[in-house]
Amino acid sequence: MRAHAAGTVVFTAFLVLVLGLAVQGAFQTRARIADTFNREADVQRAQIDLQEMLRLQIDEENFLRGFVLTRDPFYIQQYAIAASQWVAKETAVHDELVTEHLDRALQMLDQYDQVQNRWREEIALPLISHPHSGVLTLDKKSKAFIDYEAQTAEAVRGALVGTSETLARSTQDQINRTSYVRAFWLLVFGLLAILFNAYQSRLTRQLEEERMITGVLQQAFRSEHVPLPGCEVGSTYLSATSRLRVGGDVFDVFRLSEEKALLLVADVSGKGVDAAVLTAFVRFSVRSIALRDGDPATILAEFNQTFAKTVDNPSLFITMIVGILDCTSGSFTYASAGHDSAYVRHASHVEALPVTGPLLGVMEAAYGTKFATLSPGDTIVLATDGLTEARSRDGELLGERGAMDWIASGPAGAQALADYLNECVRRRSGNRPSDDLALLVVRRESESGGEHA
Amino acid sequence: MRSVMRAALCALLAVLCTAAAPACRIQASRTVVLYGIGDDPGVFLWDSRFRLRGYHAASFDEAQALLPHALLVGPGTRAVVLSCYANFVQPKYRLFPDDAVDVRILAGALRGRTGWVLGGDARVLRRR
Repeated sequence: MRAHAAGTVVFTAFLVLVLGLAVQGAFQTRARIADTFNREADVQRAQIDLQEMLRLQIDEENFLRGFVLTRDPFYIQQYAIAASQWVAKETAVHDELVTEHLDRALQMLDQYDQVQNRWREEIALPLISHPHSGVLTLDKKSKAFIDYEAQTAEAVRGALVGTSETLARSTQDQINRTSYVRAFWLLVFGLLAILFNAYQSRLTRQLEEERMITGVLQQAFRSEHVPLPGCEVGSTYLSATSRLRVGGDVFDVFRLSEEKALLLVADVSGKGVDAAVLTAFVRFSVRSIALRDGDPATILAEFNQTFAKTVDNPSLFITMIVGILDCTSGSFTYASAGHDSAYVRHASHVEALPVTGPLLGVMEAAYGTKFATLSPGDTIVLATDGLTEARSRDGELLGERGAMDWIASGPAGAQALADYLNECVRRRSGNRPSDDLALLVVRRESESGGEHA
Repeated sequence: MRSVMRAALCALLAVLCTAAAPACRIQASRTVVLYGIGDDPGVFLWDSRFRLRGYHAASFDEAQALLPHALLVGPGTRAVVLSCYANFVQPKYRLFPDDAVDVRILAGALRGRTGWVLGGDARVLRRR
């Protein structure tokens, strides 16, 4: 069961991890593509700026020609504006070339800049100072300048176009790669989901089978009591593994004859189904021994030998109290193998029944037999250590004294007292008992039929 | 027999040479209009095809030094093609070479002058 849960957790964690990786990859790719798009946009803007530079350069020349022909200072103003705009565009293109590390194109742009400045110094400024020198000079020298500038600008444009194409290819590659990666992750995730689903189905099937088996076992191992003449019998069972409702604690009421009944409460070390399997063995072994020999000490001693020969596990042991109750006389003969949660509630006080021998399954030993007498209205309470070891939320054990107080203050009826003690344990442990609890309560009915305290 | 073989060899060589030699875009005797393909539509008319080639391969200062050997022809000037050298000029920042075209100016202030222009600057006049 624990292995199944671990498998599910690991599978789920793996699915989450794969999903996380896929999402992270998608975000990274998106960021990369966005970055490439931005770069491409910047490069295209630089190309437009370069075109603008060429237009502004021709504007400068045209405004200068206009001034030479008309001597109108308006053209000089326009010339100055075009020149300053040219410088601004040149700076923008320069920055973009630096960003993209286009060194060769940067060199060309610098040459373009130098030639344009020389044109301004060697042609524009002299003509502004002496416009009479004529348009012909302007035209011939200017053409040489413009031809050269066009060449360098063409080189810069070629580099920018090349970069733009590279970035476009890179974007396309990234998009293609993203598609492949996405398809891959989709495939992986789909396969994992299918596997997970198959695993879950198998797990559910196994759980269903286990639940069925547990149900059958619960039926087989459930402790039950039979009615006894002149006595009221009550019982309750509280499992620490609440879903199973079986455990290592067991009680049994078995009629040996018309008057006599075997009372048994035992606690097998361990919990859950493994311990429950042993409880069946305990019940039926003790019953068969008790049918042959009515002495509780002998029953324990014989069972101890049988247990040692049958169960080859030195870590397993059992505490048990076995008693023979004569329902007519009220005499109760018992023997206790390390089982200290046994009490008789008399009208005035609660008596703890002492242990008469060691645990079963530890060593060969002799057990003593003791007697108690139940007056009408008196009640035997046989419990497992889930009662005295009921822990509070702070971890404090109830102890024998606390158990006796609960018994003394409990209701008179046998079943009512069993339910009361069960409820006390539940409440004390905050509904999370740390150990199984089996309770067998037998009350000798009072002759008048009245209720005790 | 020998003379036949020699003739055949010459014919083969002629065919090979014709096939290998790049062809000019404009044939001799065609009338063209001069129009610059750069930002300035004026066209330089060079006194030597080598200076034409040098101008397009030169640095800026070298190009300036060559300018006295060129005349500036206004855009739209008509000329007739005298001869042509295919792929003779390799402009500095262009991928493909261009022809060097020998022209005689047919109109304008420079009428009658001959000189070399870039193939791309000479446009064949369409017959109507």
